[in-house]
Amino acid sequence: MENLVYIALFAPLVSSLFAGLFAMSPRKTFVGVVSSLLLFISFISSAVLGYHIATTGANVHVTMMDWISVADLHIPFGFIADHVSVTMMVVVSLVSTIVHIYSIGYMDHDKSFNRFFSYLSAFVFSMLVLVMSDNFAGLFIGWEGVGVCSWLLIGFWYHKPDVSREENPSISPSWAANEAFIMNRIADLGMLVGLFIIFWSTGSLQYDVVFSQIPNLAPAVLTAAAMALFIGAMGKSAQFPLHTWLTDAMEGPTPVSALIHAATMVTAGVFLVIRANPIFSVTPEVSYFIAALGTFVAFFAASMALVNRDLKRIIAFSTLSQLGYMFAAAGLGAYWIALFHLAAHAFFKALLFLGAGNVMHAMHGELDIFKMGGLKKQMRWTYAYMGLASLALAGIPPLAGFFSKDAIIETAFNEGTLILWAMLVITAGMTAFYSFRQVFLTFLGDERYKEFGIHPHEMYGFVLIAMSPLAILAVIAGFFRDWFNSFIIHLLPNYEMSENTHHLALILGAIVLVVAVSGIILAYKKYAKGLKRSEKTENGLIYKLLINQYYIPKIYEALITKPYAEISKLMWTKVDMRIVDATVDGIAKFIYKSGDGSRKMQTGNLSNYLNWMAGGALALLFIAVASSVIG
Amino acid sequence: MVTPIQVTVQELNLPLLVPMLIAIAGGLGILVIDLLKSNLDKSLYVMLSMIVLFADMLAVAGLTPNRGFFDLMLVDGVSIVSQMLIIVASMLFIPLALTSKRFHEFSYPEFFALFLFMVAGFQFMVSTDNLILIFVGIETASLALYTLIAMHNRSNSFEAALKYFTMGALAAGFYAMGSAVVYAVTGSIELWQVKEALSISSGADSTIIAVTGGAVLLLVAFAFKLSLFPFHTWAPDVYEGASAPLAGYMSIVPKVAAFAVALRIFNIYIDLGVESVRIIILVLAVVTMTLANIMALVQEDVKRMLAYSSISHAGFVMAALALGTTKGNAGVFIYYALFMFTNLGAFTMLWISRHKKLMYSGRYDHPYEKFAGLIKIMPIGAVVMALFMLSLAGVPPFSVFWGKLFIMSAAVDAGYIKLAIIMGLNSGIAAYYYLKLIVYMFLKEPVFNVDTIYYNISKPLMVIIGIAVVATVTSVFFFDVLLTYIYTMISASGF
Repeated sequence: MENLVYIALFAPLVSSLFAGLFAMSPRKTFVGVVSSLLLFISFISSAVLGYHIATTGANVHVTMMDWISVADLHIPFGFIADHVSVTMMVVVSLVSTIVHIYSIGYMDHDKSFNRFFSYLSAFVFSMLVLVMSDNFAGLFIGWEGVGVCSWLLIGFWYHKPDVSREENPSISPSWAANEAFIMNRIADLGMLVGLFIIFWSTGSLQYDVVFSQIPNLAPAVLTAAAMALFIGAMGKSAQFPLHTWLTDAMEGPTPVSALIHAATMVTAGVFLVIRANPIFSVTPEVSYFIAALGTFVAFFAASMALVNRDLKRIIAFSTLSQLGYMFAAAGLGAYWIALFHLAAHAFFKALLFLGAGNVMHAMHGELDIFKMGGLKKQMRWTYAYMGLASLALAGIPPLAGFFSKDAIIETAFNEGTLILWAMLVITAGMTAFYSFRQVFLTFLGDERYKEFGIHPHEMYGFVLIAMSPLAILAVIAGFFRDWFNSFIIHLLPNYEMSENTHHLALILGAIVLVVAVSGIILAYKKYAKGLKRSEKTENGLIYKLLINQYYIPKIYEALITKPYAEISKLMWTKVDMRIVDATVDGIAKFIYKSGDGSRKMQTGNLSNYLNWMAGGALALLFIAVASSVIG
Repeated sequence: MVTPIQVTVQELNLPLLVPMLIAIAGGLGILVIDLLKSNLDKSLYVMLSMIVLFADMLAVAGLTPNRGFFDLMLVDGVSIVSQMLIIVASMLFIPLALTSKRFHEFSYPEFFALFLFMVAGFQFMVSTDNLILIFVGIETASLALYTLIAMHNRSNSFEAALKYFTMGALAAGFYAMGSAVVYAVTGSIELWQVKEALSISSGADSTIIAVTGGAVLLLVAFAFKLSLFPFHTWAPDVYEGASAPLAGYMSIVPKVAAFAVALRIFNIYIDLGVESVRIIILVLAVVTMTLANIMALVQEDVKRMLAYSSISHAGFVMAALALGTTKGNAGVFIYYALFMFTNLGAFTMLWISRHKKLMYSGRYDHPYEKFAGLIKIMPIGAVVMALFMLSLAGVPPFSVFWGKLFIMSAAVDAGYIKLAIIMGLNSGIAAYYYLKLIVYMFLKEPVFNVDTIYYNISKPLMVIIGIAVVATVTSVFFFDVLLTYIYTMISASGF
């Protein structure tokens, strides 16, 4: 079993290095094939580990080597496959494998094909380090690793020039990559502080040691640690106010959006909260804040998705919104429900993104849904996949999203936080609306793309087949809810609805369902027959507010970016050039001048040299005598 | 009435002489071969010299610390370590004769014979504590060295040899005077007896002036050999006049030998608490490392820059000698063991770029401009040279860094915090001129007549550079072993 842990972890690394060998050479299909195979091996190993853990209930814990051992600090390079991490491993490796296969088709015209696979596999490796580590330090390494890979992949088309915000809200891939990276740095500082607090108060970073010490710790320390860790989670999972990078990250190739910015990396924050649940469950204030923030983000992101016209951005907003759901569940103490929604969401959201990738591929890079319509004819399979994924996302039974999201909304009711519950219900309606607005505008109605001279075509057959496991999982994952519950409570605290909620469960489910279905019907009425734009709505305050993302990117620019740039410039011209540089240059000039002066003794004249020797001898004698007289 | 000396062969302990005898016999052998058949190819002599040096090294490795040969010879840890350094550096030097172009001096078998005699001279120098034998060793080695420099057969080589010779003569005078004063005060020229005599008489005010005066005279002689300010004036001119490998060799081997002797002599004064000697050594060291650094800044020629940098490094090491601790004394040899590869490597890189006849510019052979854009002409060469520069600048993890670190920690341990700070500041200044070359190599556009520059390269040179690179880069792995070996050897000799 130990070997399986290593195989699952290192197969993606091998894949990355292998693809890296060909990074500079022209496109070679076998690079993609080999990478996908290695990822598949990783998936099989993870699945076998999962089966092993499910049947025996025993964790697999390996310590590869001692990594840091300084004074009191001992950090081994250890990996653990337990109920939580094996769930993540299976989800990550499965989605990664599919995305790798998908990329063979999607990236077929890209001249950096090989490099792409190298980055993508490197990401999977980092993600697995993140979820499999048995200590916070390893988690942090993976955390930073996925950050770097995300930066590389968002900026994959770094050669595209910067354009104005009106033309492209994310300016350019390299800009978006930097934004994502810098935003995450801010949050990572919080995370680091959290790790320092933990190490400082418990003397260890190993999960088991830290968690066993929790009863001995002061509540203030725990609250501080929980808050700091959650700030880290907010960055990676793009929670308000650090959310702007996620939509801009859509500048990366679509498989990247599917894998990193929907299914895996962005859920790392949720994973962290779940992993550190012993800390969060004893800090109710922080937990409640997490739940409230999650609910707010769910609502807030869904509202922005209502009016957006960019296919991928809509899905990105929906990812944000669903991450909000997960945090709501985790904050309310229903960790296993959060993890369940995380897994289910990974399946249907990856499917949705890959479908969007098909559309984008067919439309030659066009993403504006107002320029699409009627694609059903050409892209039957993609339509089916996206429709299915949207149904799952909207929470229509019996698809996966229904079971997982309904459980979260039920939790909010069960906890008595009725405002949260109401907001989550409304969000469910908005989710259904925007999902189907997008589906209908893309696939139904008049064929608006003809005006632009685009000839769409369906994706390659093998790509569509590769997507099928996701589609199947999006349909059936929900049925495993009870099984998953019994599996995961070996490690996570169980969460059960109260008697009262239990009685009301059917009614509560019905309310959510009615709201969701009416969202779909509304979308159908408005958009299925074609696009009718109304000047009045589009000029309205709310529409303007939403389409501009509440003006938050602009506010950030005006309040943070620009003043920061101004201050930097001031520091550069005034402080750095006038004071720092001048001082340094002054010292250098002085030393240089004295060099010029002293080189004069090097006349090349032998008599002078002999004089120097004699003079030197006298001077030495003088110093010696003087020092022995004084001393 | 002179009584005949009665000694048995056993007491003579002749094996102690074997290493030097091998070198001398090798040199004579080369001369004999030349007599039998002249005009043999230089590669034969290079190989013969290598074999002789290798045998010499084996003989040194087989030595056990002892005295012998009428008590003139003293083989202890210091002697073995410095002989090893001398021989290894010599073995790195000799193959550099195998350039792709033919250079005058290497076509003479006398060159190799003189070289081996010089090695023997250095070996004698470090293997005795008799002031007269030290003198004989110094002069044997120096006279051979003057000739080797002059054999480069350029007008500035003759000038260099002559300057070195004249100033060397003056230094020899100082040495002789110093020894005479020591003999006058203590009645002995055996250093162990000198120490005994001084420790009995120390404290007496009448002798302190004479003791100090003798020490100062000796120090002047060694300051000349070690090129310490203001006795260093020969060094830049001589380095410039000598061929690049010989300049590199001179920055290491004669200094190792001189340091070994200086350690034997001045450690006596420092041990006995003659503070004035310690102070003048410190002053010399600090002034040397600082002024040489500052002068290196303004050089336009890389070889002259390296000359000043070698002076500065010598000053750095001299400071370790003043500490009077085992750590400091061991630091001297550890520093040179690490510095050796890097510095020889750097000079060899200059050698590669040396044209047979043409001077690069009117004044200098290796101005900075010559290396402009080297990365585009000879990428590996540029990287290797950059590596040596970084190492000389003391950038971790390259070899000289460990040496600097060790000596600075020795200074701190001995309580000389200020000295350590000065050392650190000097390393900072030094980084400027080393990095200047890197800037030229990597960031400037190449000059036009590049095809005439880098053509002196050959397989043997590449091997030597390869060894230097490996030693420079992997020092992090063998530093510990080296440290343990040298430290035990030095401390076993009582220093």
